[in-house]
Amino acid sequence: MKVIEQKGMYQRFPRSGKDTRVTHYCPGCGHGIVNKLIAECCAEMGLQDETIFVDPVGCGVFTYYYWDAAHVSAAHGRASAAATGVCRARPDAVTIAYQGDGDLGAIGFNNAFQAASRGEGFGCIFINNSLYGMTGGQMAPTTLEGEKTTTTPFGRDPALTGHPLHVCEVFSQLQAPVYIARVSVADTKRIMQTKAAIRRVFEIQRAHKGYALLEILAPCPTNLRMDAQKSAAFCMNEMEREFPLGTFRDVEKGVGVAESAAAVESPVLQVKPVPQVATCAELFAEKNAVPPAEDDAAFPERRFKFAGYGGQGVLSLGLTVAEAARLERRHTLWFPSYGPEQRGGSANCSVVVSGTPIGSPAVDHPDVLVCMNQPAYERFVDDMLPGSLIIVDATVPITKQPPEGVRLVQWPALKMAEDFGVPKAANTMMLAALKKFGCTGLSGENLEAALVASFAKKPELGVKNRELLRKAEATES
Amino acid sequence: MDGTEQAVVNHPEIEEDSCKGCGRCVAACPKGCLELKTTMNKMGIRPVGYKGEGCIGCAICFYNCPEPYAIKVVKA
Repeated sequence: MKVIEQKGMYQRFPRSGKDTRVTHYCPGCGHGIVNKLIAECCAEMGLQDETIFVDPVGCGVFTYYYWDAAHVSAAHGRASAAATGVCRARPDAVTIAYQGDGDLGAIGFNNAFQAASRGEGFGCIFINNSLYGMTGGQMAPTTLEGEKTTTTPFGRDPALTGHPLHVCEVFSQLQAPVYIARVSVADTKRIMQTKAAIRRVFEIQRAHKGYALLEILAPCPTNLRMDAQKSAAFCMNEMEREFPLGTFRDVEKGVGVAESAAAVESPVLQVKPVPQVATCAELFAEKNAVPPAEDDAAFPERRFKFAGYGGQGVLSLGLTVAEAARLERRHTLWFPSYGPEQRGGSANCSVVVSGTPIGSPAVDHPDVLVCMNQPAYERFVDDMLPGSLIIVDATVPITKQPPEGVRLVQWPALKMAEDFGVPKAANTMMLAALKKFGCTGLSGENLEAALVASFAKKPELGVKNRELLRKAEATES
Repeated sequence: MDGTEQAVVNHPEIEEDSCKGCGRCVAACPKGCLELKTTMNKMGIRPVGYKGEGCIGCAICFYNCPEPYAIKVVKA
């Protein structure tokens, strides 16, 4: 005697506060049939303890109540992105993303497409029911031409909303996927083909062969406004005409790898294990070695602004001052501001150093303004209040006089750096001015130590810059 | 049938309260031995019932059913 019954699912589903044995799917839903097949394959192959399912948002959202295996729940459309992380973090596991057509085909298409293009080590099971189910039957990218949905009440018009998206055909243009197939659960024959295909996806993942995509055409009786039989017939007659069934690629079996892929020796990509660099604790251990700031009401708050163009080192100059403050156990904040350019755009940063906790990192009226080019000077000079100091590079023409009571120092940082043969060290020359004029309230040793620390990856440059700093400081100007 | 005295014969076992009455199994059964009942289950749905004979134990009803526990098949 043999009993054919459900395997791989929990006996009871404690969803929505209920203890039940029924799923949340509508009568006749294709999801239910696929859910059963996935659980059965997972159990029959003995993979329940090795499988991590990445669950979608959409009608498939509750699969974590059903499948007896590990689960990670992703945001809408992001199952493939989350599965990328899962399969890289756990390359030994069998990772399966389960997504619908609103999820994968629309908002998450690029996530899924790029994961496929990278050949990530997971299987993606993609349910295509030609519409958004959970939200009430709206048009999805996979909606057929002329198909009526709640948002296409007169039928989808390609002139207005485009043509149905063929996910398998699009993914077949990519080199990395090792398996791409489209099946259906409309009738018994197709259900058994689907079971074989799901098994294949698990096999590929168990052997860690690479990315697999399985698209499953599934009926949605509720939103198609049909009964179970008519919606299954719609799958077979209408959907299959637009989305033909078949195996588009199975690299191991030599399917779909004829012309273009033949040139590629082995399109089977293996994700190399990510090396364990360090734990967070290790990464931050050195920084944590410096004790936290100490309150000292006698040390007044000092506000700095460092401005120039990106590439002059104004941000790292500010960082050096902030680091010196940290070494001195002052409260400090560093706040950069720059455009989208990596180099050449305007850049500035604000630094606040204080003996007491700091309220805001924004500096509207600096006590010290360091300008390395003309636009920077012109932009900030009017913000200066009496008693403050401007250090401006000597090459900058003083097109605007600073407000009364503001001290202006023209410091030849660019020229000195050039004269010393290290044009890139102009920011170090500016640090020399800050040190020389004692306007930071920080000790010279800590400023030097912070400068050396900023070259931690190239210690010889740190020493070199410290020499230049001392040389520049000694220069009369 | 308790299976202790009589020989086991092929038959479906139906958990009526888990059935949503979609009728996929009724349409798929190659022997036509399933039907929707005239009585209702706990949910107020007319669940599937076995006509009492004709089952060959193929489990096509099980695979067509979207519900995990509504129907299972005993094959002799």
